[in-house]
Amino acid sequence: MSTETVNTNLQDAQLRAGIDRSLRHPVMFFLVSGAAWLVVSIVLGIISSAKMHAPEFMDGCSWFTYGRTQAAHLNALIYGWGFQAAFGVIIWIMSRLSRQECKAAGIILTAGHVWNLGVMAGVIGIIAGYGTGMPWMEFPSFAWPVLLLSYFAIITWSMVQFKVRPEGHVYISQWYLLAAMIWFPWVFLTANLLLHVFPGHPVMANGINAWYKSSLIFLFFTPVALSAAFYLTPKVTGRPIYSYSLARLGFWSLAIIMPWAGMQKLAGAPIPFFMPYLGAAATILFFVPAIAAVFNILRTASADMEIVNNSPSLRFTMAGVFGLLVMAVAAVFLNLPGSTLKLTQFSLSGYGFEILAIYAFFSFVMFGAIYFIVPRVTRREWISRRLIKMHFFFSIYGIITVAIVAIFGGWMQGIGQEKFYQPWESAALRAYPYVWAMTITWCFILFSNLFFFLHLIFMWMGLGRRSIHPTLLISAHGHSPHGEEGDIDNAGTVSAH
Amino acid sequence: MSSNSPQSNQKPDLDETINVTQAHGRVASESAATAREHRIADNGHEPISLWVIVACGVVLLIGGGVLGNVTSWFDYQALVKPNYVRGVPEGAENTGPVAKEALAAYSTKGQKVYTAVGCSGCHGPDGRGGAAAPSLAGSAWVTGNTQKLSMIILNGLKGPTSTGKDYGVMGAIGANLKPDELAAVMTYVRNGFGNSTSDVVSIEMAQAAKDASAKRDAPGSSLTSDELMAKHNQMLPGVALEPTTKVDPVKLTPVP
Repeated sequence: MSTETVNTNLQDAQLRAGIDRSLRHPVMFFLVSGAAWLVVSIVLGIISSAKMHAPEFMDGCSWFTYGRTQAAHLNALIYGWGFQAAFGVIIWIMSRLSRQECKAAGIILTAGHVWNLGVMAGVIGIIAGYGTGMPWMEFPSFAWPVLLLSYFAIITWSMVQFKVRPEGHVYISQWYLLAAMIWFPWVFLTANLLLHVFPGHPVMANGINAWYKSSLIFLFFTPVALSAAFYLTPKVTGRPIYSYSLARLGFWSLAIIMPWAGMQKLAGAPIPFFMPYLGAAATILFFVPAIAAVFNILRTASADMEIVNNSPSLRFTMAGVFGLLVMAVAAVFLNLPGSTLKLTQFSLSGYGFEILAIYAFFSFVMFGAIYFIVPRVTRREWISRRLIKMHFFFSIYGIITVAIVAIFGGWMQGIGQEKFYQPWESAALRAYPYVWAMTITWCFILFSNLFFFLHLIFMWMGLGRRSIHPTLLISAHGHSPHGEEGDIDNAGTVSAH
Repeated sequence: MSSNSPQSNQKPDLDETINVTQAHGRVASESAATAREHRIADNGHEPISLWVIVACGVVLLIGGGVLGNVTSWFDYQALVKPNYVRGVPEGAENTGPVAKEALAAYSTKGQKVYTAVGCSGCHGPDGRGGAAAPSLAGSAWVTGNTQKLSMIILNGLKGPTSTGKDYGVMGAIGANLKPDELAAVMTYVRNGFGNSTSDVVSIEMAQAAKDASAKRDAPGSSLTSDELMAKHNQMLPGVALEPTTKVDPVKLTPVP
């Protein structure tokens, strides 16, 4: 190795270390508070799910009725966990790829606290009965300007970093990140202005609301997660992305198709005829951008299955990419106007699809990114591979069950609803066993994320292992439950994970 | 990213005099995870696989089929049913809205009018009044003769009120109320806030009040207590409803 190469690698490592150091406070704040909201959201999810099979559970307390806990559950999941995980990942990946240290960590951290206060006030508002009743926008109307302003205060700096990046081509992850950073304020502002500030016809308001939900999934959570997956896979495996043209196909088809999706939830409602059909077709076509990304990432990673299996970041990311695959297939099969659409319109299936998108796809990729980012910004290794494994297995079995049960159970519920000459109760009874299963599996997911949250808190407190050996998910050596207790001076050949 | 020249990211403290071995050791020990990372390699240029194209083609066909099923793209009326009447299940009888007792039906509608017209702005949602307006609870003019109350609602009031206290001018707040709305809001204030006259002002009586109001010399100008006492201190003509009469909750007319 010539002196010049050593020098370049060293400069590179020092630059990376400097970037990580400059971002450690905001990134860790977003990830830890996001994980805390995830736990809160799952607890609310368990309560609301329990209400569906045991209505007498806590029935004396209006604060915990189904209508409030279900709304609070989803809003805490989206704005508390989803967005904060996304913020942490966006600012970190954008800094890394634009090769800029963060110069506004203090402002981002402050805005992060404001965002958290907004979410907290919103969730308490919902629980106290002041929710707006618009799905995914249940926060009382004071919350949205707060969230939007703090969003800009958090994200603007990543835009600036991208603008002043060194010459060179723009990496795939940056396309997705930049797109998501621009799409979200467009979607959020449009929906909130049209619903809160200039309210129009209530039927159309319903349509706008449906479009907002769909756009949040397809135009924010999806590109952020794809960006992380496109970053982590080549980073951990050390291999180039399989096909650049496939990545371009995936990105542009996402950008062109997905803004049309959403209004299929109003099929049959008195809105202009083309809207629900266009929405159904666009949601079905989500398969194209999804499969392009899935195939590309899986082909890149599958060259070395051992790394996928051993590295916590890659294992979670690949699970999330499989989640995207399932979601793409579900998008096709749940939105056929002639047959399935009417069965999924008013049943649990819609919820199943949302959970599939937010947890099975987005959250898993975020977990993967977190397992990658945290050791770098804290300069400590994950404490215990057992905790990581528990998180992985309870989450994966839990989410597969929740999603499948909700989608299939919702289907059954929809068939029951179609028999309109029978009492409504019989449709509800059809969903009964599935709802039971959902409550139990949410408990498993809660269990797994409690451990994740604790692990993350310990890392935040600086209790991680000081070692040059990464925490890998290898179980072959039985000598220590905590992996290799590496001595920092004993630097051997270490592969990158 | 790797296409950057090595010089472009050079930091000021990394000049030629730096001890490379020492610096490398420091990075490797302090941030081992960062130091051992791979760089992102150049993108691969494999062709798009046949299977991806075929799968996407099938889904495109399905999506096209969905769009092909749309018969009239911009027909905004296709799903609107003008003059829609709720369907009746086979074997059942169309009963329409469920009839309610008159006092409850009038009070429910009256409460909406009370808020919508703006009475609650000054007299308060609980009718207790405040600095700007007297209390309606226990007021002699509210629970007394109905024509006097209706004239105040329709035309407003200035000068002293029933207790003799002067609150300034009340405008013709209720000038545009329809007879059923006037009847409802009168019934509501006469039986809400702790008042209980237990009578229901009928639509017929409210119509009479509107007629009497229109006959004034200057309809819509605020009344004084002198004019009220001289000309309107009487019950409205017409028959009051029995509180237990069954009425249509929307139209407020008695049902057989």
